[in-house]
Amino acid sequence: MIRIKFYIYFFIAGLVFYSCKRVIDLQLGNNSGKLVIEANITNNPGTQIIKLSQNVALSKTNIYPPVTGAKVTVTDPFGNIYPFIEGIPGTYSNQNLIGKSGNNYTMSVTVNGTTYMAASTMPNFVNLDSITYKNDNFSSKAGQKQITVHFQDPANEPNQYRLILYVNKKQVNSIFALNDDFIDGRYVNLDFQQNSIDIFPGDTVFVEMDCIDKNNYTYWFSLQQQQVNGPGGGVTPSNPPTNISPFSLGYFSAHTAQIKTLIIK
Amino acid sequence: MLLLSKINFMVKAVLLLLIILSTQVALSQKKITLSGSIKDESTGELLIGASVRIKELPQNGTASNSYGFYSLTIPEGDYTIIVTYIGYENFLKQYPAHISETINFSLTAKSILKEVVISANKPNNDNVTSAQMGTEKLSMTQINNVPVVLGEKDILKTITLIPGVKSAGEGNTGFYVRGGASDQNLILLDEATVYNASHLFGFFSTFNSDAIKDVSLFKGGMPAEYGGRLSSVLDIKMNDGNNKEYTVQGGLGLISSRLKVEGPIIKNKGSFMVSARRTYVDFFLKASTDSTIKGSSLYFYDLNAKANYHFDDKNAIYISGYFGKDVIGLKGIFGTNWGNSTGTVRFNHLFSSRLFSNTSLVFSNYNYTIQSLQTDNNFKATSQITDINLKEDLQYSTGGSHTIKFGINILHHTIAPGDITTTANSSFNSKSIEQRYGFENAAYISDNWKISDNITLLYGLRFSGMFLLGPGTFSSYDISGNTINKNTFSSNQLVKGYFNLEPRVSASYQLDDQSSIKASYNKNTQNIHLLSNSTSSTPTDLYVMSSNNIKPEISDQLSTGYFKNFDDNIFEFSAEIYYKWMQNQIDYKDGAQLIANQDVESELTFGSGRAFGLELYLKKKFGQFNGWIGYTLSRTELKFDAINNGNYYPARQDRTHDISVVSIYQLNKRWTFSSTFIYGTGNAVTYPTGKYQIGGLTTFSYSERNGYRLPSSNRIDIGATLEGKEHKKYHSSWTFSIYNIYAHHDPYIITFQDSKTVPNTTEAQETSIFATRIPSVTWNFKF
Repeated sequence: MIRIKFYIYFFIAGLVFYSCKRVIDLQLGNNSGKLVIEANITNNPGTQIIKLSQNVALSKTNIYPPVTGAKVTVTDPFGNIYPFIEGIPGTYSNQNLIGKSGNNYTMSVTVNGTTYMAASTMPNFVNLDSITYKNDNFSSKAGQKQITVHFQDPANEPNQYRLILYVNKKQVNSIFALNDDFIDGRYVNLDFQQNSIDIFPGDTVFVEMDCIDKNNYTYWFSLQQQQVNGPGGGVTPSNPPTNISPFSLGYFSAHTAQIKTLIIK
Repeated sequence: MLLLSKINFMVKAVLLLLIILSTQVALSQKKITLSGSIKDESTGELLIGASVRIKELPQNGTASNSYGFYSLTIPEGDYTIIVTYIGYENFLKQYPAHISETINFSLTAKSILKEVVISANKPNNDNVTSAQMGTEKLSMTQINNVPVVLGEKDILKTITLIPGVKSAGEGNTGFYVRGGASDQNLILLDEATVYNASHLFGFFSTFNSDAIKDVSLFKGGMPAEYGGRLSSVLDIKMNDGNNKEYTVQGGLGLISSRLKVEGPIIKNKGSFMVSARRTYVDFFLKASTDSTIKGSSLYFYDLNAKANYHFDDKNAIYISGYFGKDVIGLKGIFGTNWGNSTGTVRFNHLFSSRLFSNTSLVFSNYNYTIQSLQTDNNFKATSQITDINLKEDLQYSTGGSHTIKFGINILHHTIAPGDITTTANSSFNSKSIEQRYGFENAAYISDNWKISDNITLLYGLRFSGMFLLGPGTFSSYDISGNTINKNTFSSNQLVKGYFNLEPRVSASYQLDDQSSIKASYNKNTQNIHLLSNSTSSTPTDLYVMSSNNIKPEISDQLSTGYFKNFDDNIFEFSAEIYYKWMQNQIDYKDGAQLIANQDVESELTFGSGRAFGLELYLKKKFGQFNGWIGYTLSRTELKFDAINNGNYYPARQDRTHDISVVSIYQLNKRWTFSSTFIYGTGNAVTYPTGKYQIGGLTTFSYSERNGYRLPSSNRIDIGATLEGKEHKKYHSSWTFSIYNIYAHHDPYIITFQDSKTVPNTTEAQETSIFATRIPSVTWNFKF
């Protein structure tokens, strides 16, 4: 956050006069067809979904081939096995599983004879107290708003969060991962610093707050760091460390999830 | 046991050296020693690296050291002494040398209007004869003539035009020497380490060229008196101050102004110099109608000050200091400042005409503060590193063909990695990371031995020790970063110690009067490491010492070269090749959190590296038209178990081809034109090789580290200087420059994103920082 603030200000202050952005053509390699597992177990009743797909070349449109015919299960700590059934190709679901905080879940995905395993413990639920808006300090556009989330971080236990912001049902193209290294036990007021969707009066905002485990925090935080494109760039990008073994793209996360809505006036 | 055998080896080596020397002394005939200082006639400024030779004894010669002192021992006789220094009239004197005595020389500067001075320091063939290689001395005149962005003359940007030295990026004062990372350069200002040599995130360097007298860069064959960094030493000396008369000089530029005052404290005995620089971009912000921007701050300043006093011919004291700060803030939202301060007290003493001593007490500090001012998010984070360094350097001329340097260095580091203070209603906790203490000590000895008329050997040893001390709690981590054990140490208790023996050898063999071949080997170690996972200079740079988790970085460098001068030394040509092995290099794990992290060492991963290359360098030093062409062909690769499947991959700073052409043309007494051209292979970067969707967002997949290249960069800058008409009381000049004359888009960074024009596709976006011509003008004055 600290760094993001710097960069934003830096661009406003100086570089804007001279810098130039343009779209260019690049010859890039093609390492496609790799398995991508996106597996979430939440504490909410309803359908739990595990999606299997493949990556594609950068030059292709964003249509990701589904991986069909896989055997997908999740096992709870009591030995109950929940089979995930394929409906839409590549989307596997189960209606009976409701995640509980403290439970360690094991995912098993078998594709073409290879079994991918991952485990995740659902952390304690932390209540998203409220979301508010205020004028955006960094914006030059009149009336542009910034969203703030408010919640009480529980003291003396490690907590990790992932926040997802939607504006008029469109997801903001930024990753917000946070742990409590600096906020343990505090009442937290966290501003969303993003510039992918400008927010103005009349917009409807959803905020989803997930309490995620440590491995998944590292996963999302790694991705978040690669997004920082300040002077000199962010960290060298790489595939984020996953909890899936053997290695596959994606993650398995058992997390609590909560959504709040706000209409900007 | 390893330690004992190293000490044993060192003792033997020193004994051997002494035996060689004593033999030499015993064999020598009746000789006399001339010694003294070499100064500028009009200002009394000591001249560093001025050459003293005897016409009748062409093989005998010496150069003044960093304190302007020389000592020359020769057989008794009647001689012609020649003293030369670039930019100064040659000084010739018939001298009956029959007794050892002190002779001070004063050289007259050639009029600034009569000659443009360029490049290496000595208008002779010392570059061919000296054993030293991989070194470069820049004159301030040269630096002042090279055009730079926004007209801010910059030492650090000018040295990146030298072969083997690469800029860390456009608008960045960071530099890479022979494949080393930018934290592997030791930057010294009057012997004090400057930790963050940049202003405004690296767009300007902390060195105000008004206050600088001398700049030397060692990129290989590092002399034994320097240590502590793997790649290079950039040794910068401040002006002493005019000890004859008071002068004021300054400049008004587009973004900053400078002012320097200097003069005698006691005429011919002591002088002072004070130089200041400040930017004024923030005055424009004040004009804004937006109240937040209006209340913002954005500036930096530098203050250099120095004073000296010569008690007599044998004793002199120098006190110098630097203080600089960057301040950036947005009213009511956040504020930040960072800066270096250094202080140096030096005492020169001449024990005899052959034994020169310098004792230095050096202070250095780098600190930053970041403040969030919003009530519900307030915090103030501070971090700093403080060094206190006691040095004793001795230089002894045996009277034979040896010049011996030896000394010790006791350097104490205090690192406060992070202190965060907050109020009760903040989202953040107060937090304090334990301070770290350590000593970096070294002893060295080196000898410059003129074995015969055509062979010179410069050899030495540096014995360095690193001691990490308590108090504090120190954890050890396994390869995945989990804590294995945690131990608490009391004050001054040794946590971890490392010893290293660093041999440094270079030799030259002179083929004829104007050509030679040279070779060198040197080992360097580094015990203080920069942690920053961003490639630009950020104020949040964090330093750590070698510890129970971090081993000293070690490099071994072999180099060899051919040196040739043409046309009475007007042209200098050199070709050098080098190969460097680097051990215990540091990188960060994915998702590493480096800020205010007690367990920051658990986020590190260690590997090795290698760098090799060829550097070609052709300089024309004199004449109306002068300048140089440099070309570097090189490769720099790193190897980490966790990266790229443990295979070598190109380092970010790997640059296959690098060309720089600097030309300066003096049209007449008033107009001087200059231009620089640079071309470089693009940085090695990691591009995605695929994409997928995760968490609702387009996400990229990668297959190899740094497998791609940014497009190559190239640029021409031009400059012109117009000297004002000669005037008795004052002198003024105008400097004009245009940066990036053909408005080339040098790629700074390439990012991948969802296309805004074609839905559901990905585009690559290139960002260039200075994608346009940038003109600038500065008015300089002196009276």
